[in-house]
Amino acid sequence: MKKYRALFKRMTLLSITSMLTVSLAACVDSSSPKDSTSTTEDGKTVITMGRVTAANPKLPNGDTYENNAYTRLVEEKLDAKIVNQFEAEGEDYTRQVALAIASGELPDMMRVNSRDELKELVENDLIADLTDVYNENASDFIKEIYDSYDGRSLDDATFDDRLMAIPATIGANAPNMVWIRQDWIDELGLELDNDGDSLITLAELENTAKAFLENDPGDSGNPVGIPFAHWLNAGDYGGSALTMTSIAGVFNAHPRHYIKDKNGNITYGSTTEGTKQALGVLAEWFNKGIIDPQFGTRTWDDIMALLTNGQTGIVTGPWHIPDWGLSTVKGMDKNAEFVAYTLEGENGKANVFHENPTGQFMVVRKDYEHPELAIKILNLFYDELGNATDLETDYPEIAKYNELGVDGSTRPFNIEVYKSTSTIDDFSDQIVPAVNGEISIEDIVKAGIKTDVKTILEYIEDPENAETAAWSKYHSRMKGIGLIEKLTKEDTFNWTTPVYYGTTATMEKKGANLLKLEEEDFIRIVIGAEPLDYFDTFVSKWKKQGGDEIIAEIEAELAEQQ
Amino acid sequence: MVENKHISARIGRFVIYTIVISSGLICLLPLWNIVAISFSSSEAVTANAVGLIPVNFTTETYKMIMEDTQFWRSFGISVQRVFLSLIINMILIVLMAYPLSKSKKVFKGRNIYMNLLIFSMLFNGGMIPTFLVVKNLDLLNTIWSLVLPGAVQVFSIILIMNFFIGIPKSLEEAAIMDGANPLQILVKVFIPISLPALATVALFSIVGNWNDFFSGLIYMTKVSNYPLMTYIQSLSISIEEMLKSGANASSLENTMQVSNKNLNAAKIVVSIIPLLVIYPMLQKYFIHGIVVGSVKE
Amino acid sequence: MKVQTAKTANWTNAKTVKQKRKWITTNSMYHLMMLPGMIFLLIFSYIPMIGIIMAFQDYVPAKGMLGSEFVGMEHFIYMFQLPDIGKIFRNTMVIAFGKILLGTFAAIIFSILLNEIRLKFLKKSIQTVVYLPHFLSWVVLAAVVVNMFSLDGTVNQILTFFGLDKLNFLGSNSLFQPLLIGTDVWKEFGFNSIVYLAAITAVDPGQHEAASIDGANWWKRVWHITLPSMLPIILLLAILSLPNILNAGFDQVYNLYTPMVYETGDILDTYVYRIGLLSREYSFGTAVGIFKSLIGMILIISANEMAKKYTDRKLF
Repeated sequence: MKKYRALFKRMTLLSITSMLTVSLAACVDSSSPKDSTSTTEDGKTVITMGRVTAANPKLPNGDTYENNAYTRLVEEKLDAKIVNQFEAEGEDYTRQVALAIASGELPDMMRVNSRDELKELVENDLIADLTDVYNENASDFIKEIYDSYDGRSLDDATFDDRLMAIPATIGANAPNMVWIRQDWIDELGLELDNDGDSLITLAELENTAKAFLENDPGDSGNPVGIPFAHWLNAGDYGGSALTMTSIAGVFNAHPRHYIKDKNGNITYGSTTEGTKQALGVLAEWFNKGIIDPQFGTRTWDDIMALLTNGQTGIVTGPWHIPDWGLSTVKGMDKNAEFVAYTLEGENGKANVFHENPTGQFMVVRKDYEHPELAIKILNLFYDELGNATDLETDYPEIAKYNELGVDGSTRPFNIEVYKSTSTIDDFSDQIVPAVNGEISIEDIVKAGIKTDVKTILEYIEDPENAETAAWSKYHSRMKGIGLIEKLTKEDTFNWTTPVYYGTTATMEKKGANLLKLEEEDFIRIVIGAEPLDYFDTFVSKWKKQGGDEIIAEIEAELAEQQ
Repeated sequence: MVENKHISARIGRFVIYTIVISSGLICLLPLWNIVAISFSSSEAVTANAVGLIPVNFTTETYKMIMEDTQFWRSFGISVQRVFLSLIINMILIVLMAYPLSKSKKVFKGRNIYMNLLIFSMLFNGGMIPTFLVVKNLDLLNTIWSLVLPGAVQVFSIILIMNFFIGIPKSLEEAAIMDGANPLQILVKVFIPISLPALATVALFSIVGNWNDFFSGLIYMTKVSNYPLMTYIQSLSISIEEMLKSGANASSLENTMQVSNKNLNAAKIVVSIIPLLVIYPMLQKYFIHGIVVGSVKE
Repeated sequence: MKVQTAKTANWTNAKTVKQKRKWITTNSMYHLMMLPGMIFLLIFSYIPMIGIIMAFQDYVPAKGMLGSEFVGMEHFIYMFQLPDIGKIFRNTMVIAFGKILLGTFAAIIFSILLNEIRLKFLKKSIQTVVYLPHFLSWVVLAAVVVNMFSLDGTVNQILTFFGLDKLNFLGSNSLFQPLLIGTDVWKEFGFNSIVYLAAITAVDPGQHEAASIDGANWWKRVWHITLPSMLPIILLLAILSLPNILNAGFDQVYNLYTPMVYETGDILDTYVYRIGLLSREYSFGTAVGIFKSLIGMILIISANEMAKKYTDRKLF
């Protein structure tokens, strides 16, 4: 018995120690890089990837993010099989990347969503230098695309003269537009934009809003002024719905951007005199009722309800707002029609800024044996496929995807790589001629554009009975992009290029609080809780609470780069 | 005087009934509102017109759920997880609670085990080390990553242990006389007597596993492997956050298509149906277990 | 008599011997029964504790735990210098304390009132309804809460109806903590009342009758009979909830908060998740986590001692 007991004891001890060692070793081992690139049984190179998904990919039944027409194309053309190490979107994706980094097992390729994250990966020596593979493998067209950004795009992914990632591009989205109900303008016989340059003045906008308030063309019984959201000072064009971006532009002010002032000093756009003037206009309008009296408390849904119920007919937003925002208006009122303008600056121009040219990057794991595959995928999707003339015969499966409207996130690289002017080019070279009947729809190269044109024509043929989707596409393309094209052609833009897009150490620490301060103080000024001169107090608060440090950091960083 | 007292008693009674009934309504109505929303048209929901009665009654949302493969996949994963966890948790609970219910004289080393259990409840290595262990065991994206890390339910073990301690010694002694070994005693004597208490901890396990969303977030790297609560959690995308942080045309369009309040409400309703089905049991045993566990002990 | 004692002694002796032999196999059987559970505990609780090392390193994933540089207490020192931590610590305590205090209060009141309901059917139905939220996940309840408290939600519609201003419950730093506390009380008061109700029903009805005859009204009876009879259990539960003072409810906060309310809504657990995972400050996150665990441990042990001392009951 005693013997048995001793044996038992020893066995237990032994098993526990061995378990501990094994797991400990496993824990520690996890940090060592993967031994080698694995291949599938049939000899295809395996690429493990981190994929950014969309909530509604609209994939046909049976297809997944890992196995769809696009990944099959990679398999066929590049003899490589894509295996997803993780798939997620938004914060979930950030977490997956963090967990992958923590465990020391990055996927072979993945997207990173900010330059800070990229910088950290570079500093920790986790990702591959793509300089040579890019130079050797990138097609001429791809190089042309990046060249169209005057180097701003590739520079962002370059550290110590080495290209460390494939940057995504953000094409021109400027300007922020003012969308106004055309049917109401017609009904009331208002005169807007007499000179036909698509620029309207603040006074014109004010008068239109006043006319809508007085006459209630939407028969709502309770008309309200122009709605703005509490994220008044958002800093880009893509998501700039319900912001002050357009009004600030009148005074050539660009809140939330670090720019050089007249004297060449770096200043923060939100603290400039122009921003103060813009807030002055907003405060005055709020006082007069030109702006929605419940500004500051309304949510996105509230504001959409105002538009849908016909209580308001003016809203500021990007060119694509008809696709995802205004579409509900058409659902409610089949005669609804919008027109897009932009506000005329004091200098007679449309004052706009260059957006951060990148934001997302594709990186390749250090020591991955086939970094060139990343560039080849880039070529395949953004050159070959993008410029394919006969999708139906050459890539039938992908042609079908386009018809089904499968989301672009299902492509291996969920990034956009287009020339800076591609939206406008497509519009003037393809959409307009096709809509005007100058070229046949079948001649259109890009499948997405082809679908757009078909839906637009559907709307033009029978506006009243057209589907909401056709209404949206017509508005976002013909009115939205149409405005951008016109302003570009007529050289109405006055561009400002911010000097710094990154995040400094102080921004990381204090940025959130500073932004909150800014948002709250701006709202208080607009609603008259504080006089306009309170803006100066805001500026000094901003500087004291970290703004000065941030400016100094940016100056230091820029000096270092030169 | 007497009359007066009578009236004040009546008023008091009225006040008490009002407060108690309104407490009940406060618990019920917000949940009912979600049900009403799930049966309303999306226009009515956008216009904030839905109160307690569905507006433009429709079962469209439920039809859409029927066809939603991801929803049912996640539902299935959750069901699977609940069953596996239940089996493993219960086996470990009775196996460990029984020896621990013995005094340290009878079961040498009992206190060491007990302290190890309690310490594990008090201290943990954190999210990332645990993730690394699960990853190195190759459990990521498997159902086991949802089941095994929570295999040992210390709180339930202590509860059952206390229950076992309260069982009369004579029953066990009689079994020993019959030559039964500890495992036989556990199965033949202790478990049959403790069924109500075991039902309580079984329900703990079911509810906890069904409701947990966080381990799905950490251990599943693909949405297709999410358990139900993790899946539902991932539906709450805020268009406002996207507008504030800057977003491109296609992602905004995609989000608008899924930010479907009445459909999400319907998903929530379906997700709590399993709990409602076992709710009568929950109520009975939980109350029993809670009262036993804390008042009498 | 003597013979009998000797006989008994003899018998006892024999029994001990027999028991001793039995004890050996029984004891190893006990160990065997513990084994499977202990293996799981080892793998999923104790091995991850090795990760605590990270808190004393500048953990660089590429170098692993063995290769990363040790920095001693640097992260802990940094933690105490960071103004954020004080704020988050305060948020955690305020939210948790508010929940415990108001939750207990609401449950006690509700159980006393519920006990007065004589209609069996009504009492049962109300119990069924008020226990329900306890069993639902915060994932589900967050949707319910957002639906109620968003700017265009039901509560604001009611406020507007009475001519009051809308309140931004989910986006305002002054309202977010009350919202968290309130909704948690809402979720749990019914369920927490179960124990108190049991204590109330355990009171001898004769006491109430006697008091009634002496002319004590309802208030007096509640104050002098019902409440004192509940006191031990109230005390016990209050002590036992002490360790939770640092658990302000990750699930609830995580599903309800937005960057707008980090100021007052951020608690230790959400902070560790965001900084330690999303922002990839692995070492610092671990340090904060350890700090939390240590305080929690002290609280649990002292709560256990207090419970033993004051109420004769204990956790473990």
